[in-house]
Amino acid sequence: MTFAADRARRATETDRWLASLLGSEASVALVAVGGYGRKELLPGSDLDVLLLHAGRPDISVLADRIWYPIWDSGTPLDHAVRTPAEGREVARADLRVALGLLHARHVAGDPELTAELRTGVLADWRSAAGTRLAELQASHVERTARSGELAFLLEPDLKEARGGLRDANAIHAVAAAWVAPGPGPRVRAAQEFILDARHALHEVTGRNTDRLVLQEQDEVARVLELLDADALLRRLAGAGRTVAYALDQSFRQAQRSRGGRPGTARNRLSLPGGLTRRGPQRISTHRRPLAEGLVEQDGEVVLARSADPAADPVLVLRAAAAAAAAGLALAPRTLARLTDCPPLPVPWPAEARDALAALLGAGQAAIGVWEALDQEELITRLLPDWERVRNRPQRNPLHTFTVDRHLVETAAHAAALTRTVARPDLLLITALLHDIGKGWPGDHRLTGEVVARDTAHRLGLGTADADLVAGAVRHHLLLPQTATRRDLDDPVTVAQVADVVGSWQLLELLHAVAIADAQATGPAAWNDWKAGLVSELVKRVGAVLGGEEPPAPLPLRPEQIALAAGGELAVLVRGSEVTVVAPDRPGLLWQAAGVLASHRLAVRSANATSCDGMAVTAFTVVHGYGEPPDATLVTSDLRRALTGQLDVAQRLGRRDVVAARPAVPAAPPKVTLVDDASQTATVVEVRAHDAPGLLWRIGRALGECGLDVRAARVETLGAEAVDVFYVVDAKGDPVKDAGTRGRIAAAVLDALAG
Amino acid sequence: MKLITAVIKPFKLDEVKAALQAFGVHGMTVSEASGYGRQRGHTEVYRGAEYEVDLVPKVRLEVLCDDEDADDLIDVVVKAAQTGRIGDGKVWCVPVDVVVRVRTGERGPGAL
Repeated sequence: MTFAADRARRATETDRWLASLLGSEASVALVAVGGYGRKELLPGSDLDVLLLHAGRPDISVLADRIWYPIWDSGTPLDHAVRTPAEGREVARADLRVALGLLHARHVAGDPELTAELRTGVLADWRSAAGTRLAELQASHVERTARSGELAFLLEPDLKEARGGLRDANAIHAVAAAWVAPGPGPRVRAAQEFILDARHALHEVTGRNTDRLVLQEQDEVARVLELLDADALLRRLAGAGRTVAYALDQSFRQAQRSRGGRPGTARNRLSLPGGLTRRGPQRISTHRRPLAEGLVEQDGEVVLARSADPAADPVLVLRAAAAAAAAGLALAPRTLARLTDCPPLPVPWPAEARDALAALLGAGQAAIGVWEALDQEELITRLLPDWERVRNRPQRNPLHTFTVDRHLVETAAHAAALTRTVARPDLLLITALLHDIGKGWPGDHRLTGEVVARDTAHRLGLGTADADLVAGAVRHHLLLPQTATRRDLDDPVTVAQVADVVGSWQLLELLHAVAIADAQATGPAAWNDWKAGLVSELVKRVGAVLGGEEPPAPLPLRPEQIALAAGGELAVLVRGSEVTVVAPDRPGLLWQAAGVLASHRLAVRSANATSCDGMAVTAFTVVHGYGEPPDATLVTSDLRRALTGQLDVAQRLGRRDVVAARPAVPAAPPKVTLVDDASQTATVVEVRAHDAPGLLWRIGRALGECGLDVRAARVETLGAEAVDVFYVVDAKGDPVKDAGTRGRIAAAVLDALAG
Repeated sequence: MKLITAVIKPFKLDEVKAALQAFGVHGMTVSEASGYGRQRGHTEVYRGAEYEVDLVPKVRLEVLCDDEDADDLIDVVVKAAQTGRIGDGKVWCVPVDVVVRVRTGERGPGAL
């Protein structure tokens, strides 16, 4: 049996049960409301029932007779007892009741009563459509802010999220006011799929829950006969997008058919009182030309009378670019007609390429237009490879969006950086394609390079330009990863990057894409610290490409040298930088890192320099919470730690107890030795679940292998940390001894397990 | 030893108290509480409002007793608190490891 049939069967059985509870009574009716009214009774659904009566004095006795058996059966019940007039009154005052009553369905008793209520409620809904729809839209906006978007969440709320079931029903509600058409077949199919997913979720969990959490996704996918959780999320993302887009269109259409001028962005319907009732004959028909074959009419982009989609393959992109540039939406009918456009010739004519650049260059305004084209499946016609990334979820806590939306967001962010590069068009195209390889198995940078080159040729770019785009896609992670995980002061770091990049053009392209990519990823991916590191790296690589010597490492500042001249242990705190000066000895760096961690300071990088027999270690730290620590306290703790009086392990252990535990089991840690990253040290890269004192723990393990840590970098990716250590052996050389090298990984993994 | 907790309708407190005293219970703790159960806080069966969940005022009553008295005490409370209407409340009973009388430091059943 299909899920829909199961829901309908449950509703029919419940109808029968309720009818038997009511018996044959005059002047009363049982009415199914909300989801039950729509015959969408899920395994865990509440029963929304209204007992309608024509003013019977003994109604409380009758109500008892119906409600008590329902309560005793354990079925969750939302009940009400009202006359039709009372029902209309409550609906007028309470939006949720009104929305529920729009789907009122007669179950048992006097059908006249139900009809009276239904007609009344619908008439009220239509006559007050202006204010009611504004309320509806305000609640939609509030819900979106609270629950996010179904299409982009890893653990979406199937009911409340934007594009979820409440939004699907909102489309019906707008249609019930006779101001916009009802949902089309695509929207109904999307709604049905989300409902099926919720149905499966209820079955799997045995509870009335709407949030599709990670641990249930595989099982829900199995019940729905889908391949896996990714396939499930992908289908849901597609369905959520369809519903959200259709609701936006409904609201816009409602505004227009009631005589208002729709806003340019979504959700701009005015608040209560803003709409006035006007006949359709009063609608403005002012048309303003925007581009060849395109005009603005009533705040939307429509085709000019002269336009001929069937003979104009570039029209799709020209319309999209015009809409994005003007900050307007494409009219639904125009979108439908654009599907008549013949496919673009391959390679694309220059006009099409320019239109794509103009569309992407419009920044944030491009996103809504792109979404509209995507809904009409026009994007995959333009770029067939897009299909592979469409609605593809990204399973890591850093990413806010699906792959395709992330690409569009990156292009929108890149639009703000076009002045920083010589070829804005290549920047926008690279931004749009940088993660396209995620649609194929394997390293997405390598697969992406191939797809990007193909696509660049399809767009009609020359070989040199196509190579540049492909190279930028291949290396789009080079700058951020090197900047955060390698020692920029090491000449090898800069030389290697310069070697890979090879040209100024590619370097500036990579820089801009790195920024746009990180900004579009989500709030955790970009901060001033990373931005500073990346631009420092770009500066140094640029110098090397220009034939200059790489800039010398920043010398110690006078106050650091002065501190070292003191000849004893001292600590200097300056903003997010902590300098530790101490007589040089092995293990100083990681012990100091441990003390800092015990003061709730998360170490992001550490660099040790020698100065007259003193080690000067500069730490960049991020402060957890509370007051920043006192330099004197840190100094005395460090002194005690170095003389063995302070047990850092125990202190950190206490913090471990209160530190947040990962909600899902973390992947096992991974240790890699990188040999060619530096001439003066061996680079040990450790990927592990982030925890307080991680640097200390790994550093101690390295110390026990007889190694000393010269510098360290910590990059956090959500809950993951990438710790990079520049280690040297007892003589201060890179680690050559095979026995020691073999021990490193085991020792580090051991320390992390403990 | 057992701890019996009852959440009942406030106006039933006097009856329940009287019934417990008659049974021989000498001490109890009473506090004001609010909550809802199956009826979701709709006090009147013939009104109610779709989708709304309210908290209704209740009285929470706690009694410590010997193991062998627990079943009888539960019956006494249930009988006294019953109106037969929705929202009559709940009674539950949990085992208790230690009871200490603060003033004397007595432990176990002697402290009841």
